[in-house]
Amino acid sequence: MKEKDEISRRDFMKVATWSIGGLIGLGWGIPAIAYVASPAWKSEQAQVWIRLGATSKVELGVPTLFKVKVKRQTGWIVNEEELSVYVLTEDGRNYIAMSNVCTHLGCRVRWIAEQDRFFCPCHNGVFDQQGNVVSGPPPRPLNQYQVKVEDGQLFILGG
Amino acid sequence: MVAKFANWLDERVSWRQVWDAIFLRKVPKVNWFYTLGSATLFVAVNQAVTGILLTLYYVPTPDHAYDSVQYITTQVPAGWLIRGLHHWGVSAMVVLVVLHMLRVIFYGAYKYPREVTWFSGIILLLVVIGFGFTGYLLPWDQKAYWATTVGTRIAGTPPLIGDYLLRILRGGEDLSAVTLARFFGTHVWVLPATLMLLLGIHLYLVIRIGISAVPKKED
Repeated sequence: MKEKDEISRRDFMKVATWSIGGLIGLGWGIPAIAYVASPAWKSEQAQVWIRLGATSKVELGVPTLFKVKVKRQTGWIVNEEELSVYVLTEDGRNYIAMSNVCTHLGCRVRWIAEQDRFFCPCHNGVFDQQGNVVSGPPPRPLNQYQVKVEDGQLFILGG
Repeated sequence: MVAKFANWLDERVSWRQVWDAIFLRKVPKVNWFYTLGSATLFVAVNQAVTGILLTLYYVPTPDHAYDSVQYITTQVPAGWLIRGLHHWGVSAMVVLVVLHMLRVIFYGAYKYPREVTWFSGIILLLVVIGFGFTGYLLPWDQKAYWATTVGTRIAGTPPLIGDYLLRILRGGEDLSAVTLARFFGTHVWVLPATLMLLLGIHLYLVIRIGISAVPKKED
């Protein structure tokens, strides 16, 4: 005679099978998610002070382009990459260093001296010499690096 | 909610019919040796899942293969686990298919009407060995390199065709980027496609014909 609250052999096996199957699924699933998604929270670049060059190269009131080679670690590959930074000073004492990466979708902007503007070739983003958006789709000014000056040399904090 | 959706779907695609045919089919009273095929299938699924995951980081060229494998093993979270499951899984796979085959032999399960199941199984065994052979080269370390040098040289021993065979396997005279690329392509495209086709036939027949009973003394 079967009591009401007794579970049948069949139901027990059903629950056991699904539970063990579920555990095995989790055993695969959780590591798989960590494996695939880890670049989302793992940063490969350490922030370091990068020497751009002498402050004397910067023209007053005009964004001046500095190109420096930096070592970048991507996956198992260490590469030398060129970093382009525009440095602006109004008084020869305070410097701002701007990234040449457009804040819209990541193309590289260029300073066109005749028009006194930065132009992005991809979607016609335009920035003024301080990096503020003048027109086009960019949502915010050009990114700035932290700057320091030591013995007449310009350094930025980046990676 | 789940039951409601299951019914909704069943009304449209009759999935219960398929489910019942697979899981509620009648089987004779058998023993644990009859689980070896399912165990093989389980490990095969493990190999497929972990293998697909490995291709997300692995690069099959001589200048990146070794480094990308090291990167998976030491840098990627759970990479050691994914690679480890794939690495040890293949050994389990070979052991299980051989045991599965021995059970079929000793119980005479290859006989009428199951000849086609048996022959598809034989080719599946060769496919599994092919997986092992091609996969062994992919880490591109010393062991992989020399094992494949020896393995392909063995394939080169038959008279007349041996030399051609060796060059087809290596994609040239020596082990090179060409060898690594074709072993990779075979490992992740040719063999999986073959495996799925044969496994489909194999499982269809197991379900369609039903499994054999344990033979009695008077059989």
